[in-house]
Amino acid sequence: MDKDTVKKIKSVVGSEYVLESPEERICYSYDGTARRGIPALVVLPGNAREVAEIVRLANEKGFPIFPRGAGTGLSGGSVPAEQGLAMVLSRMNRILEISRDDLLAVVEPGVVTGRLHRAVEKEGLFYPPDPSSLQTCTIGGNVAENAGGPRAFKYGVTRDYVLGLEVVTPTGEIINTGGRTVKNVTGYDLTGLLTGSEGTLGIITRITLRLVPKPRAVQTALAVYNRVEDAASTVTAMIRRGIIPATLELMDRITIRCVENYLRLGLPMDAGAILLIEVDGLPAQVAEEMKLVEDACRQNSCRALQTATDAAERERLWKARRAVSTAIVQIKPTKISEDATVPRSKIPEMVERLKSIGEKYGLHLPVFGHAGDGNLHPNILVDKRDPVEMEKAEKAVQEIFRAALDLGGTLSGEHGVGLLKKPYLEWEAGAGGIEYMKAIKKAVDPRNVLNPGKIFQV
Amino acid sequence: MKLNETQEQMINRCSRCGSCQAHCPLYLATGVEPLVARGKVELLEHLIEGRLEWNDKLAEVFSTCLLCGNCGDNCPNQVRVDHLVREARRDLVAARGLPVIKRTVFQQLLKNDGRLSAAARLVCFYQRSGIQRLVRAGKVLNLLPGGLTVKESLLPRLAAGEFRKLVPRVNRGKKSTLRVAYFTGCMTNYVFHRTGRSVLNLLTGNGVEVTIPEQGCCGLPALAAGDYDTAGELARRNIAGFTQSEPDYIVVDCASCLGTLLEYPRLFDDGGTFARAEEKVMDISRFLVEVLDIKLPPATKDAGIVTYHDPCHLKRTPGGKEYPRALLKMVSGPRFVELPADAGRCCGSAGSFNLEHYRLSREVVKPKIRALEVMQPDIIATGCPACMLHLEHAIKDASLPARVVHTVELLNILT
Repeated sequence: MDKDTVKKIKSVVGSEYVLESPEERICYSYDGTARRGIPALVVLPGNAREVAEIVRLANEKGFPIFPRGAGTGLSGGSVPAEQGLAMVLSRMNRILEISRDDLLAVVEPGVVTGRLHRAVEKEGLFYPPDPSSLQTCTIGGNVAENAGGPRAFKYGVTRDYVLGLEVVTPTGEIINTGGRTVKNVTGYDLTGLLTGSEGTLGIITRITLRLVPKPRAVQTALAVYNRVEDAASTVTAMIRRGIIPATLELMDRITIRCVENYLRLGLPMDAGAILLIEVDGLPAQVAEEMKLVEDACRQNSCRALQTATDAAERERLWKARRAVSTAIVQIKPTKISEDATVPRSKIPEMVERLKSIGEKYGLHLPVFGHAGDGNLHPNILVDKRDPVEMEKAEKAVQEIFRAALDLGGTLSGEHGVGLLKKPYLEWEAGAGGIEYMKAIKKAVDPRNVLNPGKIFQV
Repeated sequence: MKLNETQEQMINRCSRCGSCQAHCPLYLATGVEPLVARGKVELLEHLIEGRLEWNDKLAEVFSTCLLCGNCGDNCPNQVRVDHLVREARRDLVAARGLPVIKRTVFQQLLKNDGRLSAAARLVCFYQRSGIQRLVRAGKVLNLLPGGLTVKESLLPRLAAGEFRKLVPRVNRGKKSTLRVAYFTGCMTNYVFHRTGRSVLNLLTGNGVEVTIPEQGCCGLPALAAGDYDTAGELARRNIAGFTQSEPDYIVVDCASCLGTLLEYPRLFDDGGTFARAEEKVMDISRFLVEVLDIKLPPATKDAGIVTYHDPCHLKRTPGGKEYPRALLKMVSGPRFVELPADAGRCCGSAGSFNLEHYRLSREVVKPKIRALEVMQPDIIATGCPACMLHLEHAIKDASLPARVVHTVELLNILT
């Protein structure tokens, strides 16, 4: 980037918010994947006006901008390319409003999701989307990737909570979409389009989020099964009884063994699956629902069942699930985390296919994830220093994608396409689908300034 | 830069997930990646692969870490970036040498007790003679380069004389059955005599014979700066002093020293002498609770609201979180109040970090000060003299009336 441009950028945001040294730029070359790209410059703007000015400058000078929040993504979506500018939005981190009467919050993109949870829950309100990185990831990133989380089955994903946005367009205009109402059909649903657009159609600078009342009670159950099919039929049985649990987490046999080897919690090593089930709502309703959950578990051959109401006991039941991430990297250091998703009824078949893919390539492939919404997280465990293993993993990933699509599912439930799934987008979207997306991108970003090279190649 | 197999595996396990962002006091204060653990791991990878070489910027990045270890405690992949940063500093020292001031301090003062105590006497004279008042009043310090005024005020007010020379070498209790060797640390020795006296009172009053063996600096300042040679020399001297008399236990009143002593066997090969002594090394609170099973009566006088600050290097040792609280609750009962979770992190002292990165260390302590302003405690107890010093400075700056004491001091005052 030429000196004159850097000088102009410094005059917009202030020189202390421009990082130029190679050492600092290297620290913005990654996200939660193995992809890397060292940006030419790192800029931390403080407000929408500054963002817009830099975007206009980018159009004028012809350099790309790679927007990001905390950089915890799992698709390579925020990884910069050389010669580009990494735009870090974490400084814009104010919670501007929490309205109990309108049931909404207005926030800047750099607010950490977990902080928003705590702030609204203090007011008796609830923001349900809970990606597992919620203690670090930011709301802006959640909106840009349309993040999900374990609660999605009952409560939906980020898109279901975004009422309105303030966005800097790829040409540097500041626009507002949606608003403060649940109903809004004035013109195209730009809020919907921008949610999950992975930073390619605009830079989100302010977000209005819908909130719901905080559930007053939560109960948790842990059910152990001999066969994953029985766990899956329990899920179906619960739904037929009219219960939608807030959490429905599945751990397969390999995962159970990893956790048990690591923590010695007394989990049965020969179990085929464990379900962690949580129901929430008003106390009376929760008690009644938990009875039906227990019935569903017992009638579907669960071999052990524990339930908990108070926080400490619930935490004890969560212990195995929370330990999964740490437990599985004890086998191999590198974890390739996939999020292929299938319709709920296809879970047993998907688990079976994942097992045979793991066996075919001789890879460790523990499966744990959100059984309610079919978003299983197959994790391939490898050592990134071993090229042979890495090649096998790449092939296994392709087969996982094929399997998910065969079963009527999708390549990505919640991580986004970014760089990692870009080569496979056509499998799902088709050539026509990609052309349609490209047409939109070209129309709003004629100079291809915002996050170029992500999702597809223009 | 070269790492051993364990360290290499650690780097390899870091997935850059970013969990460390939620736990790094420096990231929470600044929001920039070079200061968080995963940023440093990325830089280390570049160093190892030769894509980067040591330069001023890189040295600055690696000097900007509290070594509090909070990232490692909370890392899903168990990457101890605090250990890696120290290793990087060692490599930096090998590549570029120590800065002159640190070289002087470590290699001249720390290694040589006589010179350290001479230096201490000089500072003590400066503080007590009235020259300090004159200097401050005359604004001489304002003429000195940036921030030296505040730095000067960060210097501890040294006690008159050395604690270790003021008390007997062997202190017998009533009907002593246990023999304890007491590691006083430099801060108790030169600054907080009251902590040392409290330790002696509590132990001898409870039937313990306390010996104060030949000892010096634990080596942490040198270790943290990457000067492993000096640290090793200091370690060997302490090991000799503390293993000779074969005490039943080795008791420490400083969390930072304790953390270092516990690392001796892994860091410095002494033929296994200290590895055998390792399980005897413990914090004073642990000794009181676990070994003595001490029962303290509820205090007759009211010390007011008491809260507790977790020193980073104490909280991850066995019982390091529970025992001090158990003791404080015995004497303070319902007057003991916990700090909120986000105020429970590192205070920002981190040895000389508060001198080298004064503004940043003040940012780090802010959440704690805000919580203390709401809580308005009368007493802030903690288990590390370095934290005590930093907290005293911070609360004075915020005009809070609370007193900062070592846990054992409060026990000693109230019982």
